[in-house]
Amino acid sequence: MSSRKLSWYRPGDPWLMLLPTVAGLALFRLGPMLGSLLLGFADWNMLTPPAFIGLGNYTELLADPVFPAVLRSTLEFSLLYVAGVMALGLAIALLLDRKARGIGFFRAAFYSPVITSAVAVGIVWSWLLSPRYGLLNNLLATLGLPEPYWLGDPRLALPTVAIVQVWKMSGYYMIIFLAGLQGIPHSLIEASKIDGASPRQRFFTIILPLLSPTTFFVLNVALIDSFKNFELIYAMTKGGPQNATNTLVYDVYLNGFVHYRTGYASALSYVLLACVALVTGLSFLAKKRWVKYQY
Amino acid sequence: MRQLRALGIAALILAAIFPLQSQGKKTVLQYWSWDSSVKKQNEDIIAKFEAQNPGVKVELTTLETTEYWVKIRLLANQGKLPDVFNMSSGYLEEWARAGLVRDLGPSIDRDLDKKSFYMSVLDAGKDIAGTGKYCALPYALVTTVLYYNKDMFDKAGVAYPSASWTWEDFRKAAKKLTIVKDGKTQQYGFWFFGRYSNVESWVFANNGRLIDPATNSYKPDANAIEAMRFLTDLVLADKVAPAKKEMSAFRYQDVFPQGAAAMWVDGSWFIDNNRKIAGDKIRWDIAELPRGPKGDGKSVYGWPDYVSISPNTPNADLAWKFAKFVAGEGVSLDMYMAGKIPTYRPITESPAFLEKGQQPANKGLLIKQAAKAFRTSYTLGWSEWRGYGPAESLGLNGIIDAIIDGETSFDEGMKKADTNINKILKRYYK
Repeated sequence: MSSRKLSWYRPGDPWLMLLPTVAGLALFRLGPMLGSLLLGFADWNMLTPPAFIGLGNYTELLADPVFPAVLRSTLEFSLLYVAGVMALGLAIALLLDRKARGIGFFRAAFYSPVITSAVAVGIVWSWLLSPRYGLLNNLLATLGLPEPYWLGDPRLALPTVAIVQVWKMSGYYMIIFLAGLQGIPHSLIEASKIDGASPRQRFFTIILPLLSPTTFFVLNVALIDSFKNFELIYAMTKGGPQNATNTLVYDVYLNGFVHYRTGYASALSYVLLACVALVTGLSFLAKKRWVKYQY
Repeated sequence: MRQLRALGIAALILAAIFPLQSQGKKTVLQYWSWDSSVKKQNEDIIAKFEAQNPGVKVELTTLETTEYWVKIRLLANQGKLPDVFNMSSGYLEEWARAGLVRDLGPSIDRDLDKKSFYMSVLDAGKDIAGTGKYCALPYALVTTVLYYNKDMFDKAGVAYPSASWTWEDFRKAAKKLTIVKDGKTQQYGFWFFGRYSNVESWVFANNGRLIDPATNSYKPDANAIEAMRFLTDLVLADKVAPAKKEMSAFRYQDVFPQGAAAMWVDGSWFIDNNRKIAGDKIRWDIAELPRGPKGDGKSVYGWPDYVSISPNTPNADLAWKFAKFVAGEGVSLDMYMAGKIPTYRPITESPAFLEKGQQPANKGLLIKQAAKAFRTSYTLGWSEWRGYGPAESLGLNGIIDAIIDGETSFDEGMKKADTNINKILKRYYK
């Protein structure tokens, strides 16, 4: 193609096309991010002008005896969520990766909790988990088993909320895994069958390694997603009992929009950002050890 | 001719740009409300006010509570507050100290018909503001009452609560009303958790206090400790009330109307919820809280909602006139959820307020309470140290829950409350 045919092309044009998106991002994403970075160094209750306090918010949160508990809850929730959605998402995807009558219905059914309101999910699960009248404890009682206080016991509340979040979101990861599974060349599976590989061998030596780029993508999306746990905690436990489910994102909300400690909440949100950056950074560092991009 | 045409065009353009000038300029008042459920009633009040005050236009902005506070705080920060706006007891001190609400004292002295308002409620606002000034005009009040299930009382053969009830009478009744079957409690005599209205009501009924006003520190006196000990013992020793964890799936306001407990103490505005949830399935009523061993029965725990006026309004007199109207003669009973008490006496003391034929039969109690002195525990940072709303599992609320859930002892809990709450209060009262 000669350069004369592209005489209408000017190098600056793509930038012009990108301008609306870049301007929108700068104004509504990067601007507030920069604003909250600056507010992290201020004492501001939204009511009166902000006062610069240097690292005051950061030193306060590091000295706060509640902060390590909040950090621990955040990481514990994250671990349970990532492990849960990856295992369950893959298991459902393997179950549904077949041609069968009505398979579309099951795929939609497993996906439906993803698009259900988190508050509605939280309320319904709270009823199911009710110590006195809940379905689960009534079943346990019928079997003569102990009836735990799922949401009232500080040792159980966080895992319980994390499991509900896993139940809600596994369908989303199932769809990604399903796409990954369907991208594996069928000839490789066929060849392994001809060679006499058992289903277990096929899964661990063919499917799982070939699925690794998808698994890596799922891992990172799930890691980032695991820190966004506000809605279910708000609907089910409100950070309790005794701070047991108070995670960083819930603490940001409480300080920012309940106590109006906007500077402190901004500092907390940057700690949250650091956590997300750290775990995704570690995941990228470990990538070349286990992710295979070539068939 | 050309000049004439140009002049005509210029006149048309000017008329298009300044249409109001040709109609006569109106004075505009901005009014902000947090209650979307009474938007229609607020519009009716405004229509009445505008009819009585030609040349005045009131522009109403109604927002949901959370959005309301974020937006109005930012407006206050920019010096652009609406002329008249709703104010909560929980934030009044913060706003008064920051000089963001107008001192209404001179206007109240000058032309408020004091016989038409419960002055005790106005005085409560003055106490809460902590500046010695009337910074807000209350339009509604809620008090705390003892809800009781008449069916359960009748079945247990227990006399209904009376004004002479002591705490011991209450404890005995709660024991009789608790039903245990096969080692499991089927019905509790009472229900409470660490919520402010569930606890402070008992503290004040025993003439106690949580906050030392001289030092703005958390320093519960012996009467307050006695009240909190009494309450927690109802769960831990008497076993006539459930642990918080046992009711974790309930909306707290539904435990009583769903028939899981025979008695409950909370705000009077839950009359509305009781009617909706219990319907005609349960016969219930309200009574005064039993007086504590040190209580004198002269005060009640309750808190008002207010209208405040911007300190920067250019129409201060008109804003006061509207505030007085929207809290007083302009209001109608249908804009008050059942259990909310208008501070405008002619409405509250009208026969319609009693809602004869509807539960509770003893709604007149609210009128008696409205005339009493009010006590509250509001301070700066109250929602944080008390554990309120989305923070209800934290703060003092969370500590009391931990005690009744058996996670910590009473003494340990009180020690923790002292350390944690005073740390928060020190940050606010530097």
